[in-house]
Amino acid sequence: MLNERTMRVWAQVGKQTQGAPATLAHICAAAVAGVNVDGAGVTIMTSAAARDVVHTSDRVAADLEEWQLTYGQGPCVDAFAAGGPVLALDLRSAESLARWPVFTPAALDSGARAVFALPLQIGAIRLGVLDLYRARPGAMSAYELADALAFAEATALMVIDDAAGQRPDTAELAWQRADPTAHQAQVHQATGMIVAQIGTSAEAAFARLRAYAYAHDRRLGDVARDVVERRLRFEPDPPLESHEGDEEMA
Amino acid sequence: MSERQLAEAFVELADTLVDDFDLMDFLHQVTVRCAQVLGVAAAGVLLTDQRGALRVAAASTEQTRLLELLQLQTDEGPCPECFHSGRPVAVADLSTAADRWPRFVAQARQSGFASVHALPMRLRADLIGALNLFGGVPGALDERTIQLGQALADVATIGLLQARAIRHHETLAEQLQTALNSRIIIEQAKGVIAERRGVDMDEAFNLLRDTARRSNRRLSELARTVVDGSEELWLTQPAAPTHASIPLRRTDGGVG
Repeated sequence: MLNERTMRVWAQVGKQTQGAPATLAHICAAAVAGVNVDGAGVTIMTSAAARDVVHTSDRVAADLEEWQLTYGQGPCVDAFAAGGPVLALDLRSAESLARWPVFTPAALDSGARAVFALPLQIGAIRLGVLDLYRARPGAMSAYELADALAFAEATALMVIDDAAGQRPDTAELAWQRADPTAHQAQVHQATGMIVAQIGTSAEAAFARLRAYAYAHDRRLGDVARDVVERRLRFEPDPPLESHEGDEEMA
Repeated sequence: MSERQLAEAFVELADTLVDDFDLMDFLHQVTVRCAQVLGVAAAGVLLTDQRGALRVAAASTEQTRLLELLQLQTDEGPCPECFHSGRPVAVADLSTAADRWPRFVAQARQSGFASVHALPMRLRADLIGALNLFGGVPGALDERTIQLGQALADVATIGLLQARAIRHHETLAEQLQTALNSRIIIEQAKGVIAERRGVDMDEAFNLLRDTARRSNRRLSELARTVVDGSEELWLTQPAAPTHASIPLRRTDGGVG
């Protein structure tokens, strides 16, 4: 069930990459084509104050990121702060103007009419926002929204693995790794336990859990279960060289 | 349960829906009330992730076995069936349903459940999730109990709507995603607490919830501070006694 949509999303990314390792640019291009939007942008935020626009698909998308960065308001800013999507279906509405009085006219001026800001997040791990825009107003269909959310999830995982120094996957490999256990509660519980075990951020803890599962060719949920049932502990600061032996089976 | 106690349960749930109410705690309370009022062994709320799967939002107990049984239903089980048809699903005797949902039935029976019901959570034309009820003995719930269960499922739906109305006219899609992400934050926080305090996940949740109530904070907000490490103080204190029963209002006494 998870895999059909994940497979479709990665197949669309695969059309962009032509076999090369996937980048945020590929995901944005695939999202633009896949969910009928006119442009996409990714902003990574390490905190509310520190932001970095890492990719925009066109000038309008670049403008949208720029206005939000400059004015400190807009759907993307709210999505990051609130921890949920912000769907601005018509920037010409009174509601948009009231909510983002400076951003709204600037965005309209740039040529955007609807903005869909999807947070890149996994629980308390907040990475940034995927912004999609359309030159026309209106909601996404349920089908488009579902794919857009899947693109946001793919983007979030790529950002996490990238920050952890993991080599980027090709679209095909990413799809093969699509893991039906990845959404299990134990995965998030294990992330929390690793946070406490090695005194790190949730983002780094989750990346360590994923890296361990990759390195040992196991499913994420199975490794997480070992952590939750206290058969596997993670230790601070593993030696850079080895994948083996940096964790201890209890 | 008497009519008066029932009425009280509904009034108290409704009374929780004040301005800055805590959606995740509210959904948890609905499931606890389900178990009490409907006489079932356990209850859970599953919400659509809008990508074709159902995800756990709340459960009457946080025991790993119940959570696993709920999350198993991303693939198969009464809740997906209820969610896709929009109609209640009733299985009076799980032993008769092994062909229908092999993994679900095996795990449910292993967990000591003998019957299961799923009731749709609906908002006008949209289905947003399902309320799952587990019985410890075989038997279908009677018509009146099903109606009460549906009323509680509707109360859970109203909770989602209320949270949406309070927060900037959010769309339902926005609210569902926020709720499911809040659930993930809670799981992450349970992990931090379980590791720091050497307790199991059930106890970690109770500790989190009791602390949230005592300090009058939202469960997901407190959970976030636990995960990002900005709130370590109470984690190093000796464990506070956790409550088996759950008072809905702290100010004016419990419920019978």
